[in-house]
Amino acid sequence: MRKAYIVGVGMTKVGKFYDKSIRELAAEAVFKALDEAGNEKPDAIVVGNMLSSLAEQENLASLIADYTGLRGISGFKVEGACGSGGAAFLAGYSLIASGVFKKVLVVGVEKLSERPTPATSRGLAWAADADYELVHGVSFAGLNALVMRYYMSKHGVSREEMAAWPVLMHENALQNPYAQLKKKISIEDVLKSPVIADPVRLYDASPLSDGAAAVVLASEEVARKLSDTPIHVAGLGNALDSTDLTSRYELDRLLASKLSAEKAFQMAGVSSKDIDVAEIHDAYGVTAAISLEELGFAPRGKGAKLVYEGRFRAGDRPAVNPSGGLKARGHPVGATGIYQIVEVVLQLRGDFPGINVGGEIGLTQNLGGVGANVTTTILRR
Amino acid sequence: MLTIQRVWRLQEKLIKLVGSECMDCGYVCYPPKAACPRCGSREVKKIQLPRVGKVLSYTVLKVPVEGFESKSPLIIALVELGKARIITQLTDVGANEIYVGMPVEATIRKSPQMIEGATHYIIKFKPVIKK
Ligand SMILES: [Zn+2]
Repeated sequence: MRKAYIVGVGMTKVGKFYDKSIRELAAEAVFKALDEAGNEKPDAIVVGNMLSSLAEQENLASLIADYTGLRGISGFKVEGACGSGGAAFLAGYSLIASGVFKKVLVVGVEKLSERPTPATSRGLAWAADADYELVHGVSFAGLNALVMRYYMSKHGVSREEMAAWPVLMHENALQNPYAQLKKKISIEDVLKSPVIADPVRLYDASPLSDGAAAVVLASEEVARKLSDTPIHVAGLGNALDSTDLTSRYELDRLLASKLSAEKAFQMAGVSSKDIDVAEIHDAYGVTAAISLEELGFAPRGKGAKLVYEGRFRAGDRPAVNPSGGLKARGHPVGATGIYQIVEVVLQLRGDFPGINVGGEIGLTQNLGGVGANVTTTILRR
Repeated sequence: MLTIQRVWRLQEKLIKLVGSECMDCGYVCYPPKAACPRCGSREVKKIQLPRVGKVLSYTVLKVPVEGFESKSPLIIALVELGKARIITQLTDVGANEIYVGMPVEATIRKSPQMIEGATHYIIKFKPVIKK
């Protein structure tokens, strides 16, 4: 297997951009990433996206390649719900590792502001089991609410303890110029915010977002030529769990988070103790709590409690979500996995424009559905 | 989109509560699977799940998904049915009366969701009334 490096990154601000289409968002991220990598034409483009059908547009690889002056290259779109970005990165990496291509552009793009919220909510619920869950009217927030109540009750976690995560994420995002939610909040604010799906309140949940992020992957020889600061993709793992929540082995765990991390750690020859900085998938506070546990950053049942006690901020090891995470940087679903990779690359290079924690080894983990399609990457300076 | 043929395909599972059981390792699943998630065996048979169970977790949806706006807030529960679980609407109960461990039983009711102007029926769960 050939080594693969990230030689260029780019992203748009995350937000609601009524004036920008999918292709325009993608182009902004693509041009930035390509410019960092010597503006050479890539061999292929891989697009991560979940819900472009809401904006009545599929066939995104050709759309974006053609719009950005890359007509004629190879490519395709990858879908894995909110984990589409991570899955697209896995596909792009494989194209380099297999030797099929030398330079691959991976772009994640999503536009959720196009339709009214109930329509977007319905689309997001397609990430779960439509035949058996959506048919009862349960939203994605509702599924996470079921997990949250179960997790809190099983592990004796208080509502205040659960609120520490969004508070930390909003604090981190304040310094991130790309973040969607730039507002300091308190635990009180979280507890007083409107209920979306009891016990999930507005501030427990990531917002609906538009955005695009892109990376250029290159083989070792090309990477040396194009970049002084290539970041090595040292480990990569993906794992699948059931789309439905009902047949999970354990409701307070995320099996695919654990399995994908194990695969990535093994490939990179490192463990959770070696990670300096991580960007994890906090679609909801409870998702973050369980992910911290599955990644080995917290003992089982202690994820939320450790956050409440002040762990995982800048200066701690690992520093988790210095970007503000899905909660406050925002969650343009199919692009989120690529945002995480861009952010950790910038951290390792010392270039992140927000809270810069530096470090040598970084991790990203991107979840699709309620942890049904999970990609973990280990990046190394 | 919820189509008439989709509801027709699902009627057995939505109304009769059919799960699957692995003949090799005994693992019970709802929704039913074509092969066992635990051991991979294709020797799975359809089984009838119990119609009485208990609430494992629940939520009250204040933001409806498209198609369910007519019945908001919707009460959704994760119900344990023997060795399986189902996510379902709760009915005949107030949001403040629900608790984890509450005994509930299956009933067939109208779905809030319309299909091309027609109503359809779906399994829901209601509190078990002690006689
Ligand atoms: Zn089995």
